[in-house]
Amino acid sequence: MHIPRIPLGDGIESILDFLVEHFSFATKSFSVVTEKGLSWLESGMKFLPPWLFIVLVAGLVWYLSKRNRGLTIFTIAGLLLIWNLGLWSATVSTIALVVVATCIAILIGVPLGIGAALSHVMYRITMPILDFMQTMPAFVYLIPAIPFFGLGKVSAIFSTVIFSMPPAIRLTCLGIKQVPMELNECAEAFGSSRWQKLVKLQLPLATPTIMAGINQTVMLALSMVVIASMIGAKGLGGEVWKAIQRLQPGRGFEAGLGIVIVAIILDRVLQKIGGSSTSS
Amino acid sequence: MRGRTLWVICLMTLFVSVSLGTAFAGSKGKVRLAYVEWDCATATTNVARAVLEERLGYDVETLPVAAAAMWAATASGDVDGMLAGWLPVTHASYFKRFKKDVEDLGPLVTGAKIGLVVPTYVTINSIAELGAHADAFSGRIIGIDPGAGIMAKTEDAIDAYDIRGMELMEGSGATMTAALADAIKHKKWVVVTGWAPHWKFGRWDLKFLEDPQGIFGASEDIHTIVRKGLHKDKPEVYRFLDNFKWTRKQMETVMAWDQEPGADRYANAKRFVKENPDLVDSWLQ
Repeated sequence: MHIPRIPLGDGIESILDFLVEHFSFATKSFSVVTEKGLSWLESGMKFLPPWLFIVLVAGLVWYLSKRNRGLTIFTIAGLLLIWNLGLWSATVSTIALVVVATCIAILIGVPLGIGAALSHVMYRITMPILDFMQTMPAFVYLIPAIPFFGLGKVSAIFSTVIFSMPPAIRLTCLGIKQVPMELNECAEAFGSSRWQKLVKLQLPLATPTIMAGINQTVMLALSMVVIASMIGAKGLGGEVWKAIQRLQPGRGFEAGLGIVIVAIILDRVLQKIGGSSTSS
Repeated sequence: MRGRTLWVICLMTLFVSVSLGTAFAGSKGKVRLAYVEWDCATATTNVARAVLEERLGYDVETLPVAAAAMWAATASGDVDGMLAGWLPVTHASYFKRFKKDVEDLGPLVTGAKIGLVVPTYVTINSIAELGAHADAFSGRIIGIDPGAGIMAKTEDAIDAYDIRGMELMEGSGATMTAALADAIKHKKWVVVTGWAPHWKFGRWDLKFLEDPQGIFGASEDIHTIVRKGLHKDKPEVYRFLDNFKWTRKQMETVMAWDQEPGADRYANAKRFVKENPDLVDSWLQ
């Protein structure tokens, strides 16, 4: 009994070639637009002098974290340290990249999660795809993304979105499914439409869970920055990668610390927003 | 709610207007060059950038990426070119794959070398002797990225010289230098897949093992590779990249400057361009 080897790899390569041939013009133009928006965001952030930027961020953290003094002090100290280490522009560019990637992931992920929670068919389709997205090594689609999105930040955003979107979808879905049956029936008994039930009951109750998902998405996006720097994403990840290649562990550690500081600030702020927000 | 939306719109308008002001500084156009963060490639790419910016008035973006990404981006036309194609051996697999999508402008530096490298305190001098001392090297040849041509050549060498009891370890350029550094610190015997020019030769006393059978080829050249169609879109850039050529000595001068603590690599490249006007003029013929 001789079973020939299934030519899976060849099939995938010819599909890729076909896609590049016919669709790369569309993704390329999307890429140009995204790149423009991102570079605006970045140069806007870099236009502010670092001290002013730090003051603004600290004020924002102070406001968002409901006047949490410790976190605000940590934010100021952490950003000052980054500035002092000469990693300012790399950090700003990483923040811009993570913010944009996370926004895209949330804009796609949360609606998908809602869909998966409300429709069983959609749920059955989405879940295996999510397994793929979370476990397929990023290196596999890093290089093939280049003909579609070009070298640099947009390809990086593409792979970051793929890697970081699943928790937003999963936890949105979970949050809505966990709304007690009685409340759903209650809402229906009072004659709310599906839309009203979603907006006025399910989403508000699911908010803490959804926020936890968004939080996870941000963290995963940050964990991709070093891998993304292999295709020219630059930023803090690029600094780490450069240091690794030049065998400068100290410098690598500094840039890594920068990533950690940004991560802690984003994580705590998002937790504060998620933990205490009820329907507004 | 309405007030907040207004605020957001105001902020966005501010961003856009500010960045519009910064984005359109006058220049002839943009040139994108990909490179890998090897010291030779960094030095070369920065010098090319200095010439394009200072002498020709282009706006240059240099992108440090992985080797595979550098080739893929040049082939897809996403970057204008690269000055770090190691041929005929090291990048053979990439070149074979993308040959029809790129244009090879020939060598910019000749006489680079690849092979197996050991610290000078190791008392053997030839690859042929490796097999007999396998235990002293803990049975390992420390390699780099599995895709590199030097790895395939090393496998060939293991067969050709019948090196028993040694296996080639895959890793990356960074893990190779880290393993080398660690072994030298403890005065241990170590053998790595190496190439010159590379900063490791500046930092430690190393030697290439002789290769009597010529498995690793006589020498490597570093080529300038550009995307298809560059000579039509940017003839001036194409002509410069085609003419760009320097000696190993000149390249190592810049590489040595780059090794000084706190060095700004682009400033060093500008300094080189300023100090060698005749050479630069010959590139701009």
